[in-house]
Amino acid sequence: MNTRRVKQHLAYGLVGLIFGGVLTRIGFADYDELHKMFIFADLRMLYTFAGAVALTMVVYLVLNRRIPKQHKIIQPGTIPGSMLFGFGWAITGACPSLVFVQLGMGALPAVFTGIGIFIGVWLYRKVHGRFFGWDTGTCGV
Amino acid sequence: MTEYWPWWLGAIGLGGVSILYLLLIGRLLGVSGSWAKVVAWKENREQLEAAEALVEDTEAMENALMAETLAEFGEDAIRELQAESATNEAEPAATASLDELESTTPWTAHLVFLLSMFVGAFLVSWFTGEFHPRLDLSDVHTRIFGSLWEVWLALLVGGMMVGFGTQMAGGCTSGHGLSGCARLLPASLLATAVFMASAIFLSLLMEVMIR
Repeated sequence: MNTRRVKQHLAYGLVGLIFGGVLTRIGFADYDELHKMFIFADLRMLYTFAGAVALTMVVYLVLNRRIPKQHKIIQPGTIPGSMLFGFGWAITGACPSLVFVQLGMGALPAVFTGIGIFIGVWLYRKVHGRFFGWDTGTCGV
Repeated sequence: MTEYWPWWLGAIGLGGVSILYLLLIGRLLGVSGSWAKVVAWKENREQLEAAEALVEDTEAMENALMAETLAEFGEDAIRELQAESATNEAEPAATASLDELESTTPWTAHLVFLLSMFVGAFLVSWFTGEFHPRLDLSDVHTRIFGSLWEVWLALLVGGMMVGFGTQMAGGCTSGHGLSGCARLLPASLLATAVFMASAIFLSLLMEVMIR
């Protein structure tokens, strides 16, 4: 039980380390690069992303049976939530993983983004429990 | 200005990470899910403790029942019962709850995941000589948002939008964009199209406004 917990933490840590390093070398956390992608001045990262999706798709097809069931459904929050996220992404240059990469690259004010994300996630839980109550199918649960 | 990876190398790296996550952890990559777990650490801990307590309780209760039965009916009845339950396979109920407990990832693992992303980014940018501490995000970002406190305020508000939006949409760039799109899930394709379109729209708008 305990060794299992330790192994679990190590696995998450290892993947996180590599994830952070890869995102740094791609330049995803560089606001200038990201902005260039969003205004179609440089499509390199768009190709990177499309390529990653294609590669993942192929491996998923090969591993077909070992892939856990994912609970993702179209729900009332899908479109407004994605819009809010898109606008926030354009403003901060950060999605929930990139904020840590920005910090790691030395962009210190990413701390504010991190605090903002924390508040946003916390706030959504409150608002959702109180007013919405539909099934969001958030990943990783 | 340092050269970033060409698109094909980035694609291999990024795709590789999502596959590694699946193989090592057995789940699909989704960073906003990790955020949700960390922010809700208290509920997650209580959930884990409740599950553990339940398993312990089940054992304690079985032992107590067994002792009572033993006192009431004696050893022979127990042996009969055990023979019966062996044929009926009454066991799965107990093991099912154990499995459920094992599949519950503690929130600390998700926290380790998020923090090690920071460490990984720091190490790589340090060794490639790209680590430059700065108080704003970038030159373009400062040109758009103006003075330092405006930049910080924009980041705080934008961060709240990201946090709220990803939870509402049920995923982010990794969960919907990478894992979901790779499986062609309708919800993920829709979410990815919408957040890319809104980010592009606002970026173009900001670009026009600073000109």
